[in-house]
Amino acid sequence: MTADMGAGVRIDVTVNGRARSLEVRPHHTLLDVLRDDLGLTGTKECCLVGECGACTVLVDGVSVDSCLVLAAEADGTAVLTVEGLATGDRLGRLQETFLETGAAQCGFCIPGQLMAAHALLATNPRPTRADVEEGLAGNLCRCGGYEQIIEAVLAAAERTEAAS
Amino acid sequence: MRAFTYERPTRLDDALALLAAHGPEARLLAGGTDLIIRLRDGSIRPRVVVDLKRIAELDADIREADGGLRIGARAVMTDIAADARIVRDYEALAEAAAVVGSIQIRNRATLAGNICNASPAADTAPSLLVYGARVIVAGVAGTRAVPLDEVFVRSGVTTLAADEIVTAIELPRPAKPGRSVHVRRTRRRGHDLASVTLTCAVDTDGLTRLAYGSLGPRPLLVADDTGLLADPAAPDAAKAERLETLFAAAAPSPRSMRASPDYRLAMLHVLGLRAVGTAIDRLTGGSAR
Amino acid sequence: MTEHHVVGLPGGVGASPARVGGRARVTGRQAYVADVRLEDALEVKLVTLDCARARIVAIDASAALAVPGVRLVLSAADLPDPMPRFGPQFQDRPVLAVGETRYHGEPVAAVAADTRDAAEEAARLVRVEYAELPAVSTIAAALAPDAPLVQDASIRPGDPLAATNVLREHRYGWGDVEGATADVVVEGTYAFPMVTQFAIEPHGFLAAPDGDGIAVWSSIQHPNWLQRVIAGLLALPLSKVRVFAPDPGGGFGGKQHAKFEPLVAFIALRAGRPARLVLTLEETFQAVRRGAAEIRVRSGFRRDGSLVFRDVEANYLIGAYADIADRTVAKGTYTSCGPYRTPAARIVARSILSNTTPSTAFRGFGNPQQIWAVESNMDEAAHVLRVDPVALRLRNLARPGEAFIPGDTPADGDWARTIERAAELIGWGAPPAAGRGRGIAVGLKSGPTTGLSYSTVRLLADGSVVVHAGTSDMGQGARTIFAQIAAQELGAPLDWVTVVMGDTAVVPYDQQTSASRSSVLMGNAVLGACRDIQGRLRAMAARLEGVAEADVVVDRGEVRIGDRILPVRDVLVRGLGRLGGELIGVGEMRKEAEPDHPLGGTAAFFEFNCTAVEVEVDRATGDVVVARHVTVSDVGTALNPTQVRGQDEGAAIMGLGHTLMEHYILDDSGRIRNLGAIDYRIPTSMDLPLRLESDVIENGDGPGPYGSKGMSEGALLCVAPAVAAAVRDATGVVIRDLPLTPERVWRALHVAGDA
Repeated sequence: MTADMGAGVRIDVTVNGRARSLEVRPHHTLLDVLRDDLGLTGTKECCLVGECGACTVLVDGVSVDSCLVLAAEADGTAVLTVEGLATGDRLGRLQETFLETGAAQCGFCIPGQLMAAHALLATNPRPTRADVEEGLAGNLCRCGGYEQIIEAVLAAAERTEAAS
Repeated sequence: MRAFTYERPTRLDDALALLAAHGPEARLLAGGTDLIIRLRDGSIRPRVVVDLKRIAELDADIREADGGLRIGARAVMTDIAADARIVRDYEALAEAAAVVGSIQIRNRATLAGNICNASPAADTAPSLLVYGARVIVAGVAGTRAVPLDEVFVRSGVTTLAADEIVTAIELPRPAKPGRSVHVRRTRRRGHDLASVTLTCAVDTDGLTRLAYGSLGPRPLLVADDTGLLADPAAPDAAKAERLETLFAAAAPSPRSMRASPDYRLAMLHVLGLRAVGTAIDRLTGGSAR
Repeated sequence: MTEHHVVGLPGGVGASPARVGGRARVTGRQAYVADVRLEDALEVKLVTLDCARARIVAIDASAALAVPGVRLVLSAADLPDPMPRFGPQFQDRPVLAVGETRYHGEPVAAVAADTRDAAEEAARLVRVEYAELPAVSTIAAALAPDAPLVQDASIRPGDPLAATNVLREHRYGWGDVEGATADVVVEGTYAFPMVTQFAIEPHGFLAAPDGDGIAVWSSIQHPNWLQRVIAGLLALPLSKVRVFAPDPGGGFGGKQHAKFEPLVAFIALRAGRPARLVLTLEETFQAVRRGAAEIRVRSGFRRDGSLVFRDVEANYLIGAYADIADRTVAKGTYTSCGPYRTPAARIVARSILSNTTPSTAFRGFGNPQQIWAVESNMDEAAHVLRVDPVALRLRNLARPGEAFIPGDTPADGDWARTIERAAELIGWGAPPAAGRGRGIAVGLKSGPTTGLSYSTVRLLADGSVVVHAGTSDMGQGARTIFAQIAAQELGAPLDWVTVVMGDTAVVPYDQQTSASRSSVLMGNAVLGACRDIQGRLRAMAARLEGVAEADVVVDRGEVRIGDRILPVRDVLVRGLGRLGGELIGVGEMRKEAEPDHPLGGTAAFFEFNCTAVEVEVDRATGDVVVARHVTVSDVGTALNPTQVRGQDEGAAIMGLGHTLMEHYILDDSGRIRNLGAIDYRIPTSMDLPLRLESDVIENGDGPGPYGSKGMSEGALLCVAPAVAAAVRDATGVVIRDLPLTPERVWRALHVAGDA
């Protein structure tokens, strides 16, 4: 490895509405940078092969596995993580329904589930149960049977519809 | 992951120059859903990763062209699965794109990348072969159009040169109206890598085209022009026999973890027959497209 | 049958208030062990070999040490000689491999560096010269007369089995099996695969020098046990070992016992700096799994379906180090007669060492394997006897209070009601929809056989409450349960209760979090501490009101003197007076060992579940779709119904995992081929039963607070035999090996001689 291989890349990225400018190593993923450089440890590390969804974040409104995105690729984008779902101490609708249905057990998969659900409802505000099952299929949960998570997403959709 | 240098050219010429300069030490990054996994497991160790997402000449558009469609190199599976024209006229491709991994993967994985990665199990390959897709490739010497059937060699290997970049995939206008379907075998109903992939298309002339993958080093295209497979009245036993002849080149790997060779072969036949039936049902039940 | 309802306060017992700790989980603020940041921590990376067993010839760390930022490369040569060893049952596991690696993934060295990048790069550069050795990774290979020994005989001095790979042989039984006469004998051999816990949080460990002692952070389920292990290995008093146990991101037993905490502790002390090791998912799969098993069951029945005898020979394939695996075999097979009246029984169970991932505790603790065998055998028997499978269970089921295992706790639930409820929900009386098959099975598991939990509860001056409880809340919701109990007993709103867990310096002793014990054992300790406080409140009230203590009742947050009702807070503020302060209560719940008992103690309670499923089988492909899944558990009292449902449904889906898709794939030399999430499949949200229903039987007949029993393993226990029975009903084919992958089912249906 030569001394200059992997020289830092400067990126400008908006994270949860806040503009950040930082230097990242090219081989570090968006997941690495969120957790280690920005201290946003809400996004979790698990399989690192894009199977479990624990690292799901939104990049320009689109849900992705942040373990498969190089930090450098996030330059010029807007990233939303679980820490960005609440406004101050006011929880987002999904966060509320997740609490109400008991969707979070150990909680480790929950940030990813919330982000995937957030993206799902943004593109499909009135999903069927099958839509929710499919939309969350990239987010593994080992504690629960997914039922309470699915109920929470459907409840949030209903609540949003009722409010609009 | 081992360290590498990250390049993000904004012009195709610059990207091609990088590839020419670094040869096999450079790798192209599109969606990253295959590349980053391989970078992490060390199976590839490039010195340079070339991110092609800012190249001005590459786009993610899906455009009508010459009665067919042109899909830009940066188009991702989510967009392909949802595009109304693909759903209508190249439905098996839409079905295939919709099952490439989870939604998070589909939001990043490009069709071009799926082709260049050349996994025998690539879900989009069979439908692209059936539809006669062409890959538009840019190199220093210029641009060429390569029929997809001439692109695949074996797992991870294509006929594309190391210093070439796919700029688009072209789907020609179908010669005759018809219907098609994409099917696959997996270990669970949730997203999974397939142990058999298969697309079947039947047209109003009675031509049946099938392409299958994951039973051999590359996806294969076969056709039945006798009209037997496409005939709704022909008995299953006769069709099964015809399929057996068509699938003679299927050579499943004995080493695969995902499924044993005999199961794979059996499923190829089961899926083949079912897919033929579905394509016919769509053709006779719905409208030919 | 009496319906049992706990009338609680809102936020109290029997209600389903939002999970305590839930808000942190939905905002990303919950700190798991990998989220803990220590200043100046070294990053640790393990060096492992790509084979199942090898003799270590030489380790050259020079290239690794030359990487900038690398501080330390530790191997056996850098550790005390003889190598320190640990393990909950046998002190067999070395801190690092010495001389030989015994399973695919056993570390031979560890690199500690300033950054993860440097540690990873250096780990790649550690040169290990090794010679691959023949490894045993199946029961047959391990038992072969010329099989290489997984462990040195010297580790087990005086053990007659030391020259074999059989670690222990357990024998249970009663009556005369040989002399028993049965009208019908049904025999089969059933296989359960190697599967892994796959908690979404991989294991993580940190250690840091702490004054003249050490602090350790771990995703450990048993903090006090870990404290003892570390103290022993480092020759420190317990008081100088502080274990922080953040809520694990799922445990399921895989985080019960020490894995790499000792290694990280040695590194931290050697380097004089904190050290951090977070495993990759692949390393986690190499670190923990469930015991695989081949179990032969021979059952004798009278023509009317009543059991005459049960003869079980169970071989469990455990890993290269015992961990707690032998205990899972001993305890799991002890109940292999099931919840039935069995006149004669003979159980022989062996834990067999192999050069594979050390198996450890995993939800069900040895029971799912034998239940797969015994309940499948019962279903086959029902078929042969032409007795309805539900009727067969009911005919033989132990009645409440019946001593169905001589010398052990009698049946402690109305299990018949549980079966009847499951049957009712699935509609057993009427045939299933066309094209579907239906199956039913029951699962029984002993709760803890010994136990010790302490709790301190502090009623603060304003009536708010702090509960100290050493249980590990890994998703089962223990934290919430304890808060509900304290809220109920001390009259505090639920959000005025704080539960402190996971710090051995602050929280009193808890033996462990396992065997679904915590609601019962720690719950009772918390309850006891609250009652202690209530006693002090009674004394306070008596003093303040000038009445006899005997005239004061403290119940559910109220102080009652005759007709007068005073809120607890009222009495408290007045009673504490100008100095203020707090009331401290101590509770202890102990279940003593019974040395003459084969398991060291009787069961504190039993978990009992009945699972009924309907499946559709695609005969051409072998796909099994669970159309309906009904699971009913006997829980005594549902302290938090939402959490109970979440646990039972989670257990049901986890059970479907090993039933339909999960298994390690090993190559011929014992290497794991399907490490990681791409080729080790667990159920996703698209793999659910088309309709999943869970219910509970609540008779208030448990030994825990308010009549509760432990739960959360029950709904996993008998999923596999229920599904296999349904597959048999749908197709006529009996399959005795798991998982029922499409390929396996297809093979049973189509390939001659494979059924």
